[in-house]
Amino acid sequence: MLKPQHDVVGGSRAERLAAARLALAAVETRVGTTREAGDRPRLPLTETLEPLLPEGLQRGTVVSVEGSTSLMLALAAGASREGSWAAIVGMPAVGIVAAARRGIDLARLVLVPHPGTQAVEAAGACVDGMDVTLLGPRLALSDQDRRRLAARARERGSVILASGPWAGAHLTLAVERSAWRGLGAGDGRLRERDLTVAVTGRRSGAVRRVRVTLDADATGMRVATGSRVAEEVA
Amino acid sequence: MSAPVHARGGPATATRRAVLWVPDWPVAAAMREGGWGADAPAAVLHGRGMVAVSAAARASGVRRGHGKRQAQRACPDLAILPYDEGRDAREFEAVAAAAEEVVAGVEISRPGLLMIPAGGAARFHGSEEALAEALVSAVAEASGHECAVGAADGLLAAIMAARASMLVPEGRSAEFLADAPVESLALAAMERRQREGVEDLVSVLGRLGIATLSQFTALPAGDVLARFGPVGRWAHRIGHGEDVRPPVLRRSEEDIEVGYEFEEPAERVEQLTLVAAESSRRLDEALLEAGVRCSRVRISARTERGDVLERVWRTDVGSRAGAFARHMADRVRWQLEGWLSGTGSGPEPAPLTSLTLTAQEVIALGDEQAYLWGGVSGADARAQRTVERMQSLLGPDAVLAVREQGGRSPRDRVLAAPWGQEAVPARNVAHPWPGRIPDPAPATVLPLPEPMQVLDAGGSPVMVDRRLALSAPPTWVRLQADPGKARAAAARRHPAAGHVGDEPTWGEAQPVEAWAGPWPIAERWWSADASRRAYLQVALHRADGGPALLAAFSGGQWWLEALYD
Repeated sequence: MLKPQHDVVGGSRAERLAAARLALAAVETRVGTTREAGDRPRLPLTETLEPLLPEGLQRGTVVSVEGSTSLMLALAAGASREGSWAAIVGMPAVGIVAAARRGIDLARLVLVPHPGTQAVEAAGACVDGMDVTLLGPRLALSDQDRRRLAARARERGSVILASGPWAGAHLTLAVERSAWRGLGAGDGRLRERDLTVAVTGRRSGAVRRVRVTLDADATGMRVATGSRVAEEVA
Repeated sequence: MSAPVHARGGPATATRRAVLWVPDWPVAAAMREGGWGADAPAAVLHGRGMVAVSAAARASGVRRGHGKRQAQRACPDLAILPYDEGRDAREFEAVAAAAEEVVAGVEISRPGLLMIPAGGAARFHGSEEALAEALVSAVAEASGHECAVGAADGLLAAIMAARASMLVPEGRSAEFLADAPVESLALAAMERRQREGVEDLVSVLGRLGIATLSQFTALPAGDVLARFGPVGRWAHRIGHGEDVRPPVLRRSEEDIEVGYEFEEPAERVEQLTLVAAESSRRLDEALLEAGVRCSRVRISARTERGDVLERVWRTDVGSRAGAFARHMADRVRWQLEGWLSGTGSGPEPAPLTSLTLTAQEVIALGDEQAYLWGGVSGADARAQRTVERMQSLLGPDAVLAVREQGGRSPRDRVLAAPWGQEAVPARNVAHPWPGRIPDPAPATVLPLPEPMQVLDAGGSPVMVDRRLALSAPPTWVRLQADPGKARAAAARRHPAAGHVGDEPTWGEAQPVEAWAGPWPIAERWWSADASRRAYLQVALHRADGGPALLAAFSGGQWWLEALYD
């Protein structure tokens, strides 16, 4: 900071003012006090979900996901793979193997399956300290608690992925239809599925419907394993 | 040091060393553990052949590699003992400790064989003869095993000298080795895999007409490498009397641990809080005094009944100064509370009489350490603090770390343990686990399976018989009604709806769109926790598609295991 001041000591008044403004702007960007609403930093997202959230997973937002645990895990996976920490609060039944297959790094995953009456404190601590917090559907959170958590997330720049409806969520992803492929009448296995997701933004007016394919596995190799399973069964 | 100087690769080194060898170690260890006298005929059986034979058994004609029948024919009262590498290593500790009474540092090459750098030790004891005598008598007195000591330059020569109880004069090792048969190369191989490679090499050499080491080492090194690969190169160097690596010495060090004896057995949690803080502080001081840091702490306590409780906790507090004692105090207190209240699946809770904290994985202060999640970045430290805060808020067992482990059903494949506590996977994830439920994995795995109904077109339950045939194709599925919709369920709890007694409240019957299975999984049929299940993947036919289900048939009933939602 000192060096530029020395340089401009001899300059005119206008030059010194410009230099001071420049220094101030540099400090502001470094500390992050002035942030445009549009250019919030984003968390990385898996490629398959890009049609769902073209603007990316913005830090400091609340995303409510209705009807699919897989979709929640997939949303958190991109960030977790890039080194973010994730916490899952109040979801005792979450499939850990599914989470790992989606790309969540289990070494950076913290589970609080039964926060009980201290759901607010646990969720608050996670929002403070973790980049992504997944909240289960049956947490003891009042609307006021939810507003506070959302404010805290905005302040700390972390993302809340809530299962079930959340009043005032920045984004609501509701799974309207999911179609599995790969099963027959006694043969095959679950292979891939299409989710039709209704995306409602707090700012955007119209509801957008997007179809994404989760668990897509192309290629004949998979087909071969599928037939092998069928043989074993027979 | 008279090392033969090689044309390429700089001067080859051959350290003067003494080797302490206990003959027939696996059988000596097994006999010691089984309480047999040293003169009993005994042999250790591994796979289909004997791997070690005691002197008495050898005298009656039993040889290494004999099968069980052949050995018993040669010596009918032969004691056949099981093979156990862990036992061999464990028993050898006593020998190593006895040798360490005589010399400062030893290297355990394999159970049964000790390396000692001879130079300094021989000077200290006056001569190599005196050193050998001191070693033999120390081992015989302290551990009761007979051993042989030899000294020479280079690894192979030293081992062969020990087998012959010879002290080869300095510089004469090459002559000593020259007439040795090529089979002796296998003596210098320390691991089983390596030994197999060397034995293959030796058998090829025998067929090529090369009988002695001098004939083998006369071959050009490049040709040996080209024909026999790395094993040949290694054998060539060893046969020359060279060392392939310097000895790695171990130093015996006392464990850093602190103990606390309760004056009267502790029954209440309040008594423990101060003890936890005090013993953690003392452990911290002891670590600082030794100039080290540890990444794991073993907490062990003894109860009034004589049970010993033990648990290992990780202490990745990074470089945060002063954090260790506080961090550890919490964990010690939690652990003691858990043992006192008996919430875990351990022995009956009982008052505690003593407490010991032992530092494990000790490293010198300032050495960089790889943490579970790589380096310590700002985000990692922040997350770690968050976890600690939640643990103090909700209790240590409420915050879990998860790992994958081996297994076939989705529930078996997860290992969850309180954050920071070491948990050993029950099943190895690297094993193949044939027949496990194929990917994709279900996103919701019920912690406890719920009963469900799988019905055929006529509405009667579908069964799986012993030959894994379904009685009829599944057409309808009824799940348990959501407990939140109790009122709706109550309406259906009418006798006319088919509900009797305490049966669960069933929801609407839902049509099945597609299904696959049954996939049988019969696990651990030999043990008490045997399970025999048949799995079925079911996709429901609903307007919104809905999730797919994983159902298991077990004990004449269907269970909902997981949801692909």
